Parts: sequence; structure tokens; C-alpha cells
Amino acid sequence: MNQSITLHSDVAQILLTEDEIATKVRELGARISSDYRDRPLTLVSVLKGSLPFMADLMRAIDIPVRIDLMEVSSYGGSSTESSGLVRILKDLSASIVGEDVLIVEDIIDTGLTLNYLIRYLRGKAPASLRICTLLDKPARRLVEIKLDYTGFTIPDQFVVGYGLDYGELYRNLRYVGVLRPEVYSGAPEG
Amino acid sequence: MDCRPVTVPFAHASEAEMSRILDFYAVRWEYEPHTFPILWNLDGDVVESFAPDFFLPDLDLYLEMTTLRQKLVRKKNRKLRRLRELYPDLNVKLFYARDFRALMLKYGRLALIDGLSGTLGQVAAPHGSPEVPGPGPRDTPPVDSATVGGPSVSVAGRKRAGRRRVAAPEASINEGAIQA
Repeated sequence: MNQSITLHSDVAQILLTEDEIATKVRELGARISSDYRDRPLTLVSVLKGSLPFMADLMRAIDIPVRIDLMEVSSYGGSSTESSGLVRILKDLSASIVGEDVLIVEDIIDTGLTLNYLIRYLRGKAPASLRICTLLDKPARRLVEIKLDYTGFTIPDQFVVGYGLDYGELYRNLRYVGVLRPEVYSGAPEG
Repeated sequence: MDCRPVTVPFAHASEAEMSRILDFYAVRWEYEPHTFPILWNLDGDVVESFAPDFFLPDLDLYLEMTTLRQKLVRKKNRKLRRLRELYPDLNVKLFYARDFRALMLKYGRLALIDGLSGTLGQVAAPHGSPEVPGPGPRDTPPVDSATVGGPSVSVAGRKRAGRRRVAAPEASINEGAIQA
């Protein structure tokens, strides 16, 4: 990665503007509010990438909701050696037995992390378990998973911003953008 | 469950890396467990077959890795088309070099990409080894010219002995709550 991080200038193209994201989040919030009317709902956000989406989505929902946070280790993790087995770095802080649960994700690509989370959370016996993702990148899918709420289906490009990172950076961008290939590879991608 | 590392003689480093990713996420896999005939001669003998690299039983998905040269990718694409014609119910995903590169980028392992793909990635360290492999030869299955047959002639070989690896989710997950 470049030593000099220039944030906006490292973004080759803005894929989703702040306004487009805000509009979509309001739409999703309205749909979720309608679908779960009269049903207590728990939103489970998966750290760290979904944090901005969760913060905006929960405020776009006008029914009572509880929120909880989880964090799952990622392959590769902090080293370049293979890193063993996935771990729950932060588990739910309250029981979801008999609860309607909505997983809030920033992006679904391979589906491997979500597949793991679904299996894990199903073991906690919720009444229902559904998925809401801001971004869906189907070109990278390995595990087919039914997504109940999808904000945007995006092309097969490496995106950052609005919670999405590269090397833990760019999460604070207000938009979703395509990172310049030279930022991560030193040369344009073929 | 026996959780000792299984030594699997992967043909390519990208396959070994994929096995580690699948293990990490507790996705069960088998390495080349099934071979599908895709071409027969006039006598009904199988002259060409296709053994996808991975079978993921819980997902009912075959995964074929191809991080090699474009010429070989074209050959593999042709075989995959034939496989899908003959076995339309099979769920097969071809994982190209660009897919693998994106996966490595996602996991912050792009620096390893040269050693894990293309010619340099051939002949992988066994599963469970620390890696990273060096260059070496790989046997390429012969592709004979022959008359195209069909699955009604023979579907033998489906149960060719493969190398199995079953991830041990109970051992890998805090609180053991996963339903694998």
C-alpha cells in the first residue's frame, strides 16, 4: 500500500454518492418497518464495515428495535500466514432466543462470512433470521444465500467507503467508491 | 472427531490456499472426489473426463480453480461447458485467476499472489504445511481427440477415490454453537 494515504484522490470513481446511499437507506428502513410492524426486531450489525450502514438504517426504521453487535475474525487477519479458524471476536450481548433477528451487513461477496454467521446465529434459536445488506457483489459469490433486503447490486470492483476499508482505511468516506488499483497493487489491474 | 491435519497433495498452491480459506470458514470440502466422463470414443471408452478440484457437500457445489495461462483457461472452459451439457444438475463454479486475485485482495494477501497463482503456484505444499511453494512440473491430463459421446454411455467414475477434508467446526468456533 502507498505510504501516503490521500483518501479522496485514491478513489478512481464514486460508485454511490452520499445522497444515493441516504435515499436507499430510507427505502430499506421503510420496508423493514412495514415488514416487522408489531414484531419486536433485533438488528445485528457485523463490525466493523457495517457500522455506518447500521447507524443510518436503525434511524430510518420507525418501529422499536434492539441492536446488537458482532465481530468475526477475517481470513488473513493480521498476518500473512494462514490464520487457522474463524473466531467470534465479539459475540452478542443479549439472548436472541425467540427473537426476530435481522443481520445488517455492509457487503456480501463470497458469502463465506455470512454463511458462517447464519449457522452460528441459528444455533442461538431466534424466531426468524433474515439478511439486510447495503451492497451485493454477486460476481464473487461462493455460497448462495437468500438476501432479504439489498440496497445496491454492484459490479465486480474493489470498493471502499461508507464503512468499507482497505487496510483499515477509507471507512470514513461518505460515499462508496472504487479504489485505484495502483493503491493496492502498484500497477493497474489487468 | 479427528482434527489432525490432513495431508492433501494439491496440484496447485491456489488450491491449497482455497482449502485453508474453506477451513477457516468451517466449510466442509473434498478434494477431487468425483470424476465425470465428458468424452467417449466409438467403443464407448471414456477418453476425457473432468474432476473438479473441490466438492463442498453442504453447499452441493463443485469448485474448479484455474489460475493458469489463458490457453489452459480456454481448455478448461470448454471442458466445463461440456460438463454442464452432460450433467445439467451439477452446480459448478469456475474460479478464474481474477477471482482468486480478488479473494487475495479482500483478505489482504495480495502480496502472495505471484506464489499462489500461475506457473509459480504449481505443485503446492501439502495441506497443513506452512507453504509457500516453488515452481515445479505438473502432470496435465491428456486430452485425446475422440468422438463425442454422452452420459447415457457411461457415467462411471463418479466415485473415484478423492481426498477428503472435513472441517471441524466444533473445534473452531467459540462456544461450539455452530450447526455444521
